[in-house]
Amino acid sequence: MAEKEKMKKIGDILLNNAMYIIIALAVVYITIMRPKFLGLSSIVNVLSLTAAKLPIALGIGGCIVLTGTDISAGRVVGLTACISASLLTTTFKVFPNMTSPAALPLVLLLVIGVGAAVGFVNGFSVAKFKLHPFIVTLSTQLIVYGIILIYLMNGVNNGQTLSGLTDGYRSFVTGALFTIGGVAVPKYVLYAVLLTALMWVIWNKTTFGKNMFAVGSNEEAANVSGVNVSRTIIMVFMLAGIMYGLTGFLDSARIASANANTGLNYECDAIAACVIGGVSFVGGIGRISGIVVGVLLLQIIFAGLTFLAVDPNLLYIIKGLIILTACAIDMRKYLVRK
Amino acid sequence: MAENETKESVPERKTQKPAAPDAVGRPLRGLYGKVNISVKTLNIVIIVLASALILSMAFGIANRGFVVEFDSLGGTAVESQKRMYDELVEEPKAPTREGYVFDGWYLDRETIRPWNMETDVVTGPMTLYAGWRAP
Repeated sequence: MAEKEKMKKIGDILLNNAMYIIIALAVVYITIMRPKFLGLSSIVNVLSLTAAKLPIALGIGGCIVLTGTDISAGRVVGLTACISASLLTTTFKVFPNMTSPAALPLVLLLVIGVGAAVGFVNGFSVAKFKLHPFIVTLSTQLIVYGIILIYLMNGVNNGQTLSGLTDGYRSFVTGALFTIGGVAVPKYVLYAVLLTALMWVIWNKTTFGKNMFAVGSNEEAANVSGVNVSRTIIMVFMLAGIMYGLTGFLDSARIASANANTGLNYECDAIAACVIGGVSFVGGIGRISGIVVGVLLLQIIFAGLTFLAVDPNLLYIIKGLIILTACAIDMRKYLVRK
Repeated sequence: MAENETKESVPERKTQKPAAPDAVGRPLRGLYGKVNISVKTLNIVIIVLASALILSMAFGIANRGFVVEFDSLGGTAVESQKRMYDELVEEPKAPTREGYVFDGWYLDRETIRPWNMETDVVTGPMTLYAGWRAP
């Protein structure tokens, strides 16, 4: 009997950590095949990619804690990237009447405002209409996409990709933070660290953060104990929107251009990272450190597969399977605990 | 683990009711509110999904290599190549086109961004376009 219990325990551990085990095995295999994967430039590359994808995942994480999700994220990133690229440029195609690029802090405030506005619409509809976030954010996703397309048709741009960004903007985002072994670490890594710290404080040390977890784990109970549920939901979505806005601002400088496809499918990566990182769809469960680990693991596995020259089309299938497997494992943990 | 053992009989049942109240009497919440699967079945699902994940990775690795296509834009056809990540493209025999002189490969159709065969390395599947100029 004791033997059987032991086997069951081992089986439990294997199943609950199946995702981490698969990723670890894949990394070991990739490193054996291509030892350069553990080289400095490759590690810095993975860290930079993680930093680039982190803010959006931190935003979506809050929505998942509320048992919701946000599929408008990628398009908000696209819109704010296009806004940044159209204002902080040397070729004024969207606004032909402009003569000099806009001030950096002004654009930063603008993208935060745009992100917060979309987040408010999402949050308001979820909190007041009691609609499922999937439906709400699907509609804002479409609306924001339409706005991007119309925005890009403005002036003499005619829907083209925006580029020719100012040096000040590019160096503010992609300039070297420091250089190790001849490999430059870009500044947006620092910004991602700062945003992560900020989100950690918001989630763990503020009343708003505690309310968010309370609403996520049991809305009625939170309501009874005096939490303003609607306001909490709206604020979570607005905070997420701000994170997407900042991601858009960083992304257009990182890629050095922005177009209607910027940010496409970003929410998929972010949701996958959150689920891998243990932000549970059951609600009220999740940690910032989990999200960081989730984003990092995803970037490691995709950088590794690219290193092995795996067909990028296949990566979509792998991504989908990762989300589904992670959800099944998450569900299992919940069912067993129940 | 000890506290799990006492409750184990509940999830093990095959005909588990959805949204059954838990030990404290709260209903199942969130997106899992209507989960209708036993732990045993879920274990099998996880194993199947994990195998599918491993298989698709293995399939990708078995068929690895990025295809580099050459679009000669009206010139003679050039065969595509399969390169690994971080490799140089092997310079193909220059295509010919009547009335034009070939002046190298470019990353874009508009032949604005040239591809340097000696230094540029492959990082994904791509198409190179032939540049033509009047003789």
